[in-house]
Amino acid sequence: MSGQEAPKKKVSDMKRLWGMSIDLDKCTGCGACQVACSQENNMPIFEDDSDLPKRVVFLDLMKVTNEMDKGAKFGDVKVAYLPKMCMQCAGNDPDNPYPPCVSVCPVVATDIGDDGVVSQIWSRCIGCRYCQASCPYEARVFHWWKPVYEGSFKEGLNPDVSVSSRGAVVKCTFCSHIWKRERDRMIAKGITDINAVQYTPSCVSSCPTGAMKFGDLKDPRSPVYEEKLRRDPRAVRLVHSIDELRDTNPAEYDRRMKIKQFPNPKVWYLTGSEWLRKKLSVFEKS
Amino acid sequence: MEKLERREVIMMAGGALAGATVGTLFSGAPFLGLQWLVEWTQDQFVPAPGEEKYLQGRCLLCPSACALLVRMIGNRAVKVETANTGCYKPQLAIQMLYHPERIKNPLKRIGKKGSGKFAPVSWEEAIKDIAAKIDGLRSSGNATRIAAVSGSAAFASGEILKRLVRASGSPNVYSEPCLNTLSAAATRLTQGQSGSIYYDFENADFILSFGARLVEGWGDPGRMNKALVGWKERKARYVQIDTACTRSASMADRWVPVNAGTETVLALGIANQLIAMGRRSGGANFAQWSQIVINDYAPERVAEITGVGVDAIREIAREFASARNPIAVAGRGASAVSSSTVEFAAVQALNSLAGSLGRRGGVLLVDYAGLGEVAVNAAGARGLDDFIKNGAADLIFINEANPVHRSVYGKAFAEKLKKDTMVVALLPLLNDSAAYADYVLPTISPIEGEPVGPRFRAMHPVDALLAIAKAVKGLESAFPWTGRKDVFSLIGRQNVKAAGNFTFPVELFKAYLAEFSKKIGDKNYPLALLPIEAPMVGDGDGLALPYVLKGLDSVTLTGAKLWVMMNPETAKREGVSEGSRIDIESARGEIGSVKVHITKTIAPGAVAIPIGFGHEFYTRYAEDKGVNAKEIMSDDIDPISGAADWWFTRVKIS
Repeated sequence: MSGQEAPKKKVSDMKRLWGMSIDLDKCTGCGACQVACSQENNMPIFEDDSDLPKRVVFLDLMKVTNEMDKGAKFGDVKVAYLPKMCMQCAGNDPDNPYPPCVSVCPVVATDIGDDGVVSQIWSRCIGCRYCQASCPYEARVFHWWKPVYEGSFKEGLNPDVSVSSRGAVVKCTFCSHIWKRERDRMIAKGITDINAVQYTPSCVSSCPTGAMKFGDLKDPRSPVYEEKLRRDPRAVRLVHSIDELRDTNPAEYDRRMKIKQFPNPKVWYLTGSEWLRKKLSVFEKS
Repeated sequence: MEKLERREVIMMAGGALAGATVGTLFSGAPFLGLQWLVEWTQDQFVPAPGEEKYLQGRCLLCPSACALLVRMIGNRAVKVETANTGCYKPQLAIQMLYHPERIKNPLKRIGKKGSGKFAPVSWEEAIKDIAAKIDGLRSSGNATRIAAVSGSAAFASGEILKRLVRASGSPNVYSEPCLNTLSAAATRLTQGQSGSIYYDFENADFILSFGARLVEGWGDPGRMNKALVGWKERKARYVQIDTACTRSASMADRWVPVNAGTETVLALGIANQLIAMGRRSGGANFAQWSQIVINDYAPERVAEITGVGVDAIREIAREFASARNPIAVAGRGASAVSSSTVEFAAVQALNSLAGSLGRRGGVLLVDYAGLGEVAVNAAGARGLDDFIKNGAADLIFINEANPVHRSVYGKAFAEKLKKDTMVVALLPLLNDSAAYADYVLPTISPIEGEPVGPRFRAMHPVDALLAIAKAVKGLESAFPWTGRKDVFSLIGRQNVKAAGNFTFPVELFKAYLAEFSKKIGDKNYPLALLPIEAPMVGDGDGLALPYVLKGLDSVTLTGAKLWVMMNPETAKREGVSEGSRIDIESARGEIGSVKVHITKTIAPGAVAIPIGFGHEFYTRYAEDKGVNAKEIMSDDIDPISGAADWWFTRVKIS
């Protein structure tokens, strides 16, 4: 730390750039992803988990409607479910990819890895909650209470994810412990090429309709190849409309890309519903 | 007054300080402080490590039996992997497996019935006592006073229990109403065949759903999820008729909003148009039935009752008639299904008019291989609700079911169980119905036994029931199997068959429609009560699992308060605003203190209420959360299925 600056990470140097796409037109809102996430990541069990301020989840299955739109009336309204987790932002500068939360963490409890995943180390967190305040997606949660697993619920805990203590901020890490598990498995087989290792986060592998897809944003063979997603008329990101401008208005695109800490999320949503696309892009009117 | 010396003041202060120090030391506060310090500085719990392995298994919650993998760490199951198949249910298996309130031993009642007080007994003692009760009833000629209720998901155990009760000489075997049982009753009447309705979703190209929330847990959810993806790929058209803006309605290519409880009338209106287009059915009584439809259900009148416009009715009829493989689907609801036989018949009539009955891409019948029928010389009640209302028993089995909470006759059933009846419940968790049991036999959760080893002294319900059957005198020959593996290999196989001839139940139609007109014009109760289901809660089973509670949003349940939904128009007329507390009253009674969420996703003139809440006994996680809407829902018993058609209830609020 003492005066010495860590070498800058660049997106172009990253060996992998994990990303996700979620086809909202295929999402029935069944809840499998949320439960699979909670089970994989040792979500605490409180006596009353319907108590919202106390609730800790990484993946929030949000119900969205267009009922607040002008002129909306019963018969025209729609509902959709939006699985929302940490968007694993890259920030606006590919040569210095810092998401808003990493920039503010005073103790390097959260950092961006060379796979593009924003990590979080529970036990290093001092609980200042700056990152939580800076997150545009409310994707981070704070443990106001000690996580309790009543009696035999402890038996179902995953040893790959540490149990957080009270007073720490926690978040989704794209189940990066599974990637580590897969890497270890490959290394045990003698395969050391990191690019040969694939993995799937818990939520994605549980989705019964295949609405969620996961892979390397830089890999043309991956289901979430970024160049392809950028051109997909159904693709939309939370805080996104900027993507559409790349072709239609390059100057405006550049201007917005330079806005300080533009989050540039790695989770893409796909939908053919016009109302939902509008709901997801807050920059629309500016 | 005596003057205080400085010395004395110092001594008093010193004494107080010493006292406070001693008091604090003995109060436990320093220890608590130390504990806090430990908690704040260290992680609390480290899951035990162990060797990782994956066990192959099958989800036995429905006939699809999807393959799954269970990730094991040592002997602990930590995750279920479904690899993008099936539905959400296997994901909850670990929570069920390690639920801290799992029943560990067979229990015998020690308190008053319904108090939920039990003491452990041995399996031997419980089985001996239950078998003796059956022996006693059989030898005294009262075998018909044995009854059994199985849950809709009880599959193999439901078959064994049915055989046990029938072989003992009683016809009183019931299943909690679900799509299969309700449609089977309708099939017996209209097609004279055994079997439930089987919609060929995989090959249909136009799906017209009458309030069946097809993608929200309806029917066999694993199959429906796959079918949905297929429709998108094949560009099959999905039209959802629904009283609320549900996810099914939004995922459909078209949503047809309809007034609450008027689906049957809309089906008749569409039939009217199909007949006008020259479509005919070869079914018996078609002439009489078509007269009713032609004379009384012209689009204009149907539009008035259902709220669906004349043009929309014509359009749907046209689309339905011109599709290659159209199917009309009945059975309202998602996990909880309620429908009248007349409604099934009205919707099947559309399939008959379109020529979809009994062919690929249309509507077929399905039978599940069972253990064979046992003849009984007595007639039982028509269905569970009919039994609760009119039947009587001295021994009642409750197998993976919760009729006290789930039936609209739940309170009446509780009264029945309280009487001089021996009640035997087979369940992994104590629920509202098991609280009235004399014996609670612990059963295993879905992934237990296979592939994960069983916990405690729990048994698979098939094994437990086999043990009871073997202890009853004179039933040996009816139960030649040694364990559940023998039984599993015999049952569950689907036998899809063509539907036979169709008979229009004209008299039933007339009676239903007369009753319907009376109900819809009720001025005392101006609002309709719409049942809706929250994700994963289903008809109430999910609430015991904390990860299900994590999925509830802030306008479903907050604290113990349940939220109902109302259109802004209705709210304005009734003088309520967002967050108001209201009571809801129907002709049957009142449920109290729910909060109002105002939303345009609900039809004007209606109150939408989530079902599955308001458990009295069902673990600390589910108890005392919200209210049970079934308590005030309509209790008209369908004359054919014997199940209450609770969907359409008129209410008022205060």
